[in-house]
Amino acid sequence: MSNVIEITNLQYRYHDGTVALAGVNLRVAAGECVGLLGPNGSGKSTLLLHLNGILPEKPDGGGAVKIVGEIVGKPNLEKVRRQVGLVFQDPDDQLFCPLAAEDVAFGPQQLGLSEAEIAGRVRGALTQVGLAGFGRRATHHLSHGEKRRLCLAGVLACDPEILALDEPTSDLDPRGRREFKALLRQIPATKLMATHDLELVVEMCSRVVVLDRGAVVADGPTRELLNNEELMLAHGLERPHMLRHLHPH
Amino acid sequence: MQRLPAALKLGVALAMIVGTVLAPPAWTGWFTGVAAVLALAILLSRIPLLFLGKRLLLLSPFVLGAALVNALQPSGRAQWMVLAARSALCLLTVVLVSNTTPFCDILRVLRRVQVPALLITTIALMHRYIFVLAEEAERMRRARNSRTFHRGRRLRWQTLATVVGQLFVRSSERAERIYDAMCARGWK
Amino acid sequence: MHIPDGFIDGKTALATAALSAVGVGVALRQVKRELPPRKIPLLGLAAAFLFAAQMVNFPVAGGTSGHLVGGALVAALLGPSAAVVVVTTVLIVQCFLFADGGVMALGANIFNMAIVNSVGGYAIYRSVSRVLPGVRGRITALAFAGWCATVLASISCAGQLASSGTVPWSAAFPAMAGTHMLIGVGEGLISALVFLAIQRTRPEMIAGNGEPGQPRRRGELVRYGLLVSLGVAIFVAPFACPWPDGLERVAARLGFEHKTAQPLLHALAPDYQVPGIHWAVGATAIAGAAGSLVVFALALLLGWLLVPKRANGITGGLKDA
Repeated sequence: MSNVIEITNLQYRYHDGTVALAGVNLRVAAGECVGLLGPNGSGKSTLLLHLNGILPEKPDGGGAVKIVGEIVGKPNLEKVRRQVGLVFQDPDDQLFCPLAAEDVAFGPQQLGLSEAEIAGRVRGALTQVGLAGFGRRATHHLSHGEKRRLCLAGVLACDPEILALDEPTSDLDPRGRREFKALLRQIPATKLMATHDLELVVEMCSRVVVLDRGAVVADGPTRELLNNEELMLAHGLERPHMLRHLHPH
Repeated sequence: MQRLPAALKLGVALAMIVGTVLAPPAWTGWFTGVAAVLALAILLSRIPLLFLGKRLLLLSPFVLGAALVNALQPSGRAQWMVLAARSALCLLTVVLVSNTTPFCDILRVLRRVQVPALLITTIALMHRYIFVLAEEAERMRRARNSRTFHRGRRLRWQTLATVVGQLFVRSSERAERIYDAMCARGWK
Repeated sequence: MHIPDGFIDGKTALATAALSAVGVGVALRQVKRELPPRKIPLLGLAAAFLFAAQMVNFPVAGGTSGHLVGGALVAALLGPSAAVVVVTTVLIVQCFLFADGGVMALGANIFNMAIVNSVGGYAIYRSVSRVLPGVRGRITALAFAGWCATVLASISCAGQLASSGTVPWSAAFPAMAGTHMLIGVGEGLISALVFLAIQRTRPEMIAGNGEPGQPRRRGELVRYGLLVSLGVAIFVAPFACPWPDGLERVAARLGFEHKTAQPLLHALAPDYQVPGIHWAVGATAIAGAAGSLVVFALALLLGWLLVPKRANGITGGLKDA
């Protein structure tokens, strides 16, 4: 299985000079579901924004990101942005169109598809996330769970190979979370999820990468890492309750 | 009423408004005609009359002001009544169209009549985020009120100004994130 | 100040629509040229911000409250052309969605509130802040500019009402300018306070901060200036100066007296005068002149009160707060 994501020595500084990423190395194989953990401010969101070239704003030679074998850079930005579907942390940032169907159609429109194809993709994506018939609904009238699913639909409409999700289940009630999880399970794309939802990680991810202060401090099988209480606590995390029940100490 | 195509409604409304503004007072037939069309539209659209009445209040500062001025005049009353009738009819026309037509359809019509794309995008974004910002403003106001114990007006103004300033800051930051989200889905 | 339909007649509506179309066109072109792509969504968000900000009640006395209009504020924050686009957007949405402001009167409302208010306010803001240095200078400049912008816009509005024959100039001018001289105080004050709040927390968001001077705005302002002058010539000048009489005398001398000049002049000045109020025009003009001096002095005081000496530098000072 080839690596669809290859990050080599990625560095990034914020405008005020603080180090956000201090040389991150990461490889993700096709079809994997990887959880990206770390305390607040560890650089998870910043890392995800590098996957489709939104960061760095200007090329600064701080390491390289390869998506499906090609280095992410100005010449192939369009291609990468179709290959990597990025779901943002705040649905209100991502859903910038007034109507649901319009928002889902945005991606396919940018790809230059025909009207018929766009309509087909919109229908398909909405159905896939369980929002069939929501096309004419106003975005701001949707519930939080529906908004999150709509974000996913907008990204799926572009048919990406890789799904990068930033805190996908935060602010969701238990039912919303269950529904979203069920959705994610059905999507065959490679998944990289930045999240605090440790239970989600245990249920869905075979592998976990822990980020702290811009550097990868651990990278391995989920159960092994998450059961390591010392490691978890040292990096602002904790051992999830699920695992406590399975492995009573 | 809601199901009529937007372009038709806007076109008819525009014709009615222009006609009502330009028609000389002598053409009572025109005014009654327009009133009849509006009455029919109100009936078909089932918009509550109280709502319409409240919207008519928007006219009050200007209408009252004109009333004051025209009161000191021989033919003032007649002129004022024509004025009031004209503005009321036009206002009702706009209210009816805007409440029976989704805003996106209105925008689509504007786009077709060659309104510049940048302006259309700006209007669309404004419409999308009015409610988001209004909620944010409300949340900030409530949070501030929870920590306000003085009744002084000066402090109130300072607080309000800070909240409004914060709203701008947050709007700016959100605008950048929206730009990123647009780029992430292929915006060029 | 949103003029409803019916208060503006056909020719005034057409003239203002033409002026506004040109002005907004100029603004859009300028914005596309100077705004980096990253900031394009900011226009829409700023419009939403302005709309939300206009709904905030600033309590005045006994149940009344003041509201921000914000043309000068947005111009100080984003630049004059961006402000024109933003305010125009707000006006269009208010017109079509809330019926606040007439459809035929949209041209007039855009001319008054997006062009005269924002660009006029900006011009005053820039001139004053060039003379008075530091943050304090900017606060004074914006407070004064906010007042002026409000009054100027109201005069323009009065001119349009008068040239439509709806209300005579002798009533419109004192009423509009008079009330807005008071309203403008609130506008100036709120604009200054909000600007200061932003300057304190995120000064980098204010366009033009940290730049030594901006001569590149001159061409832009000249273009708007021409547009506004044209508007003033059409709607205000005929009432504000003895031009109609002058034109009549010239027309008589050239023998055109009973031909083209007369009907035009009759259309410009409604043929009735509100009895006993014609002195109000002169009084308002004097009040305006005196008022602007008073407001400027107040604005200076405001700047002095709000900005302590050590926070006066634009880049420094506030970082150690």
